[in-house]
Amino acid sequence: MLSRVADALYWMGRYLERSENITRLLLVTEDFSSETQGLAEQVAQSAWKDLLAILPSARVGPPASAFAPLSQAYLHGFFLDPANPYSVHYSLRRARDNARSVREALTVEVFLALNETFRALETHARRGLSDPPSYRDALGSAHRGLFAIVGAIEHTFTRDQGWLFLKLGESLERIYRAALVLRVKLPGLAAAEPRADVALYYTQWRTLLRALGSLENYRRSYGARLEPELVVPFLLLDPHSPRSLRYGLEAVKGYLERIAGGGEATPAMRLVGRLHADLCYQDARVAAAGADAAFLDRVVDTVALTHEALAAQYFVT
Amino acid sequence: MLSWGAVKWVPETTAYDEAFEKPAAPRPHYRGLVTTLESFTLDEIDRRERLQKISLVDQGITFTVYGEKDGIERIFPFDFVPRIVPAREWERIEAGLVQRVTALNLFIADVYQEQKCLRDKIVPAELVLSRKEYKRELLRLTPPRQIYTHVVGTDIIRNDRGEYLILEDNCRCPSGVSYVLENRNLLHRVFPEFFTRYPVRPIRDYPRLLLDTLLWSAPRASESPVAVVLTPGIHNSAYFEHSFLAREMGVFLVEGRDLIVEDSYLYMRTTGGRQRVDVIYRRVDEDFLDPLTFRRDSLLGVPGLVNVYREGNVAIVNAPGAGVADDKAVYAYMPALIRYYLDQEPLLGQVPTYIGLRKDDFAYMREHLAKLVVKTTGDSGGYNMLMGPFAGRKEIDAYAAQLKKAPGNYIAQPLIELSSHPTWVDGRFEPRRIDLRPFILYGETIRVLPGGLTRVALRPGSYVVNSSQGGGSKDTWVLAARGS
Repeated sequence: MLSRVADALYWMGRYLERSENITRLLLVTEDFSSETQGLAEQVAQSAWKDLLAILPSARVGPPASAFAPLSQAYLHGFFLDPANPYSVHYSLRRARDNARSVREALTVEVFLALNETFRALETHARRGLSDPPSYRDALGSAHRGLFAIVGAIEHTFTRDQGWLFLKLGESLERIYRAALVLRVKLPGLAAAEPRADVALYYTQWRTLLRALGSLENYRRSYGARLEPELVVPFLLLDPHSPRSLRYGLEAVKGYLERIAGGGEATPAMRLVGRLHADLCYQDARVAAAGADAAFLDRVVDTVALTHEALAAQYFVT
Repeated sequence: MLSWGAVKWVPETTAYDEAFEKPAAPRPHYRGLVTTLESFTLDEIDRRERLQKISLVDQGITFTVYGEKDGIERIFPFDFVPRIVPAREWERIEAGLVQRVTALNLFIADVYQEQKCLRDKIVPAELVLSRKEYKRELLRLTPPRQIYTHVVGTDIIRNDRGEYLILEDNCRCPSGVSYVLENRNLLHRVFPEFFTRYPVRPIRDYPRLLLDTLLWSAPRASESPVAVVLTPGIHNSAYFEHSFLAREMGVFLVEGRDLIVEDSYLYMRTTGGRQRVDVIYRRVDEDFLDPLTFRRDSLLGVPGLVNVYREGNVAIVNAPGAGVADDKAVYAYMPALIRYYLDQEPLLGQVPTYIGLRKDDFAYMREHLAKLVVKTTGDSGGYNMLMGPFAGRKEIDAYAAQLKKAPGNYIAQPLIELSSHPTWVDGRFEPRRIDLRPFILYGETIRVLPGGLTRVALRPGSYVVNSSQGGGSKDTWVLAARGS
């Protein structure tokens, strides 16, 4: 396929995944902060500030007024602000720009779903949203819209190279964002003492699982027990949960192999393969300890290097 | 104002009304449609119209208007009242178009080969050779199968007597066919009832016919040739159409930067390396096709493309240089050219045209600017024209000053009363002026898509139907002959 088209589909996949990730983070953080606001205002506020670390180089303006809740500025900045390069609005617009530039490579269903979801977002951005409940409502419908797009892709795309590049972008973005979420959240959680406030402590772990779209899958494996020594290995190593790092790396490996179509391992395959092996060939105890900053930084770096290898091999020919 | 029940029809007084012979008397081929429409309530029509608009926006059926700041996409307004062409009328149009496109192609071939028509003084040589559309670089270069004009869009209007007249030929990159197909889809979905009373000829087949046409012209026709659509990119006003056609034909949509010339062959850059390209359906203006041959500042083109073409290793559709034939001044000579090449009388009439290059014509133009429609020979899309009968003194004087500087760049025509057609505007049927752009494909044979793009001037009294100037479009029905 055309290199330019592969490039656009790859970015469409990345931006769609990013839109979904940000939307989910906003919904989860809004829940968490309104739940803990009265209990521990500091914790609630730092949950919002964490977003700036998870989505680096994002920009959020000051609150509209001294009386506006802190969440308002973040909700607006990360959901609707077209100028913030990490807002849902911005990401979905980029997904759509990429889709528009390769429309002939998409199905009508995908384009329709993408267009509808983006138009709803534009309407919110134009009219403005007044309070957290209306943000939550709009975020919820944006989230459903994003899944409609993903569903349309799953059900209508032919499984050709274009699909592989789109899925590759999606999976790499997912790994990248998950690693950053863990990188930002784990140090604080590990330092917290459960004895201080048990309810709050578990709320934070639950929120972490939700932030990575894994709470229900976790419960299926371990029930309602929220033990840190179970949660971290689950997020890293679970073979079936589509948002664990291991699952993501395996998906990427598979897409890369199919794109290469046999033969020697490509530079991207080598990078991802090494990381995958290092992640898997350690036992759970080591893994829990291994979820330290250095390992997570390595995940982030590997995704960046993989992206460069892909670009050099397939996008700039 | 006429009215049965809730539906109101506003009659038109001066123009030829496509649908009504006189108020309250629909022409025979419109009776079924009028009856169907009158069975609707106003609310129902409104509801359906809303559905139709939402559908257009959701599907992103949009075009781009140059020079507008706010948002680059706009929908092309669609009016749901279809234009109906009876079988008998269409037969004449079709025969006239086949004749015209045959002559156009012979003319271009002649201009780039022997220039007989210039030596025989059928067309003044300076008129052809001085045009920027005439590409001296392409002299004596024969395109595959000797076809220059694979895809032609010819604009047709109807005067106040209902005669079909050719207004303009588009031999370079005629656009609009995607709207023809999408309009039909849309009308099917929003007003399925319309179709129950009429044998409407289908048009769905166009992408296949277009692909056949492209592949027919391929230099290595036997070895499953590869065709692509070449677009300037997402910011072009017709981008939607480029992507639509590529998708419908199942071929790659490429930009200049996707293509590369090596050893006199053309390749595209793919994830699997370079792949050879045999046919380019180019939707890029020819001046931008190859910076080595034409405009050096072009970033849209492919350096060396014309050389590949010269070597006979790629077909370019439409052939570069074909623009000499759709020049507005050459238009004036088309009837003579048809007689010259085909020894036939033109089957379709056209609008009398004064040419700035001719002294007498120019004198007449200057005297009668207030009565004439004046156009520059280079521009299209209704840009830079003077509508004398509607212009103020100042505007006319300013235009006259411009005119004097380069008479050869202008032509003038009397204002032709475009036919009018009932159009749904603000809750009733008002007359609006329309034209018709049929699409003609020149492959193994010459084929005319039954119908074409009916454009409608949405402003009351306006004669300008171009989408860039606030025009809309309608579905165009060609009826099948009874018993066939």
